[in-house]
Amino acid sequence: MSFSLSEEGLAELDRLLSRYPDRAAAVLPALHLVQSEHGHVPDEAIAWVAERVGLSPAHVEGVATFYTLFERRPRGRHHLQICRNLSCSLMGAEALVAHVSAKLGIRPGETTPDGMFTLSVVECLGSCGTAPVMQVGDAYHENLTVEAVDALIDRLRAEG
Amino acid sequence: MPNLTINGVAVSVPEGTTILSAAKQVGIHIPHYCYHTHLSVAGNCRMCQVEVEKFPKLQTACSTVATEGMVVRTDTEAVRKAVRGALEFLLIHHPIDCPICDQAGECGLQDYYMTVGLHKSRYPLGDKIHKKKVQDAGSGIVLDAERCILCSRCVRFLEEVTGTRELQFFRRGDHSEISFFPGRPIDNHYAGNLADICPVGALTSRDFRFRCRVWFLKSAESICTGCARGCNIEAHFHEGVLYRYKPRVNDAVNRAWMCDFGRMEYRKANEARLLAPFVRENGVEKEMPWGALMPQVAQRLSDAVRTHGADTVAVIASPQLSNEELFLVRHFASDLLGTMNLAFTRRAPEDGFSDDFLIHPDKNPNSAGARLLGIPGEEAFHAVAGRISRGEIRALVIFGNVLGAFSEKGTLELLSKAPFIVQVGTNEGVVSRAAHAVLPSASFVERGGTFVNCDGRLQRFRAGFAPRGKARNTIEILVDLGNRLGAGWSFSGEESVFRALSRSEAPFRGMTYGSIGSLGREVKR
Repeated sequence: MSFSLSEEGLAELDRLLSRYPDRAAAVLPALHLVQSEHGHVPDEAIAWVAERVGLSPAHVEGVATFYTLFERRPRGRHHLQICRNLSCSLMGAEALVAHVSAKLGIRPGETTPDGMFTLSVVECLGSCGTAPVMQVGDAYHENLTVEAVDALIDRLRAEG
Repeated sequence: MPNLTINGVAVSVPEGTTILSAAKQVGIHIPHYCYHTHLSVAGNCRMCQVEVEKFPKLQTACSTVATEGMVVRTDTEAVRKAVRGALEFLLIHHPIDCPICDQAGECGLQDYYMTVGLHKSRYPLGDKIHKKKVQDAGSGIVLDAERCILCSRCVRFLEEVTGTRELQFFRRGDHSEISFFPGRPIDNHYAGNLADICPVGALTSRDFRFRCRVWFLKSAESICTGCARGCNIEAHFHEGVLYRYKPRVNDAVNRAWMCDFGRMEYRKANEARLLAPFVRENGVEKEMPWGALMPQVAQRLSDAVRTHGADTVAVIASPQLSNEELFLVRHFASDLLGTMNLAFTRRAPEDGFSDDFLIHPDKNPNSAGARLLGIPGEEAFHAVAGRISRGEIRALVIFGNVLGAFSEKGTLELLSKAPFIVQVGTNEGVVSRAAHAVLPSASFVERGGTFVNCDGRLQRFRAGFAPRGKARNTIEILVDLGNRLGAGWSFSGEESVFRALSRSEAPFRGMTYGSIGSLGREVKR
């Protein structure tokens, strides 16, 4: 259960560790670094990061599970994050979630068996003017309808 | 010294005292879960909210420092409502599984529900969030995450006291729970304290779970016999069985803690006990009533002195004995038998495990007391052992269950050289297998007395219940045997012995059980 980062990742971590007066302060950027390389934060990475920033593994696990932006389990190739906050809900987000759930056969928080899609419901994405909104990867998909979502999912599946 | 009033009661406290501590001084209990006298203040359970005049909102009494002229109320409707609300939140996802919970009877949730709660649950049973129960959290601690109220006492203990940091909050909101990183469970020698400080049934002791409902337990103030630190403890027992130790607060010795080795010492009061006097004739054990055995033992000892001289008799004492017992043992050896062959031996061959906190290398509670009472230790013991091995000792009296300086084989070999051995001991062991007469004595919870710890602190332990089986108090055995050898002793109970001891022994001069109190005092050095 050895874990490591790429050479560039290790160099970046060294830079982060020297940036703060207390090494422990680097725990969040270090976890981001891990997630950006691995797509999620694996168990081995928790102990690995803990050792480097001088905290207990339990402490790092506490941090990694407190922030919802850290993924502790591998997620699908495409991460569908549907906003369920006020504006999106008023504009039909609940129906979108139900539709995507039924289409993919998974509930929010789950990943399709082929590893293609993970569905999440999230809080405000800051794009109320174009509600309902879904974030896929780093891209926003706005003013969504059931048809638009269907087309998007079909396209993503075709792209693989 | 700020002066303030709490519910109209005036109190003057040292600078820096919190409202919660000030209230305690005048007998006003402010409910709390996260606050602990010996941990940092967290202020997260919200149970200790009180009204302070001129403060716009309720304040947490655990974290608000008392200041001059403060007017505090803990008994207003606003306080009652807030505290009831805090408790209702803490109980929202609680499984209410008291019938199968080992904490029942000493649970903070039960206690405060009865005093400040008594609300009907407004949360549908089916909506409760379930978390993992009965998790092996390591070091003898069982974790039930859904009973936890997230007070963080355990997290702070592992951070501030042991520095091992095994437990943490995971996740957030409703899903928050205390846990350990997989594969890295609790691993330290003070874990038992976690079950003590957990105010609910989330952390319980694997050793004690389900063995006795706590409301049956009675308690005696005692001192741990596990090592020379002399941690102050409570011994909890029921119907002649000792169930557990809990630390008793003494800031001069153990603060509020004790180690896990000491905690398990209670077992010796229950396991492999010598419960009836017996003799060993031609290798066969034969039970014998005290009344028949004591004259025989006295006769054998005085015969040995008369026929072969006092030099051929030896007494081996134990630092597991109290000062009172050792005082009589010394008189018994030097005055009644008239022998110089007196020494004590510890129960382990060499210094044991120790750390820089409570665990002391000497695994005996009273080596210091033995020395102060003029009973020499290991060097003298080896001289006595030398005499035994050369066959110079005709009669040997051993107090204790083992000769720590020797292996089991070595002990049996040594003892085979003495034609008559009397043991006064509590547990079966290598000595009881070799002795010719075995006089069973009371365990540390069946008798009282005093020990002197490694720092020269004289501390008292008290009897919880009468000696089990036919065992007798060591003082009683010594007085009986001593009087048969012409002592003319009229001691009855440990306090009468201590009175004599404090008259003649300089380090203890002028002291009384009253002046020792429940927290002990330094001896004169």
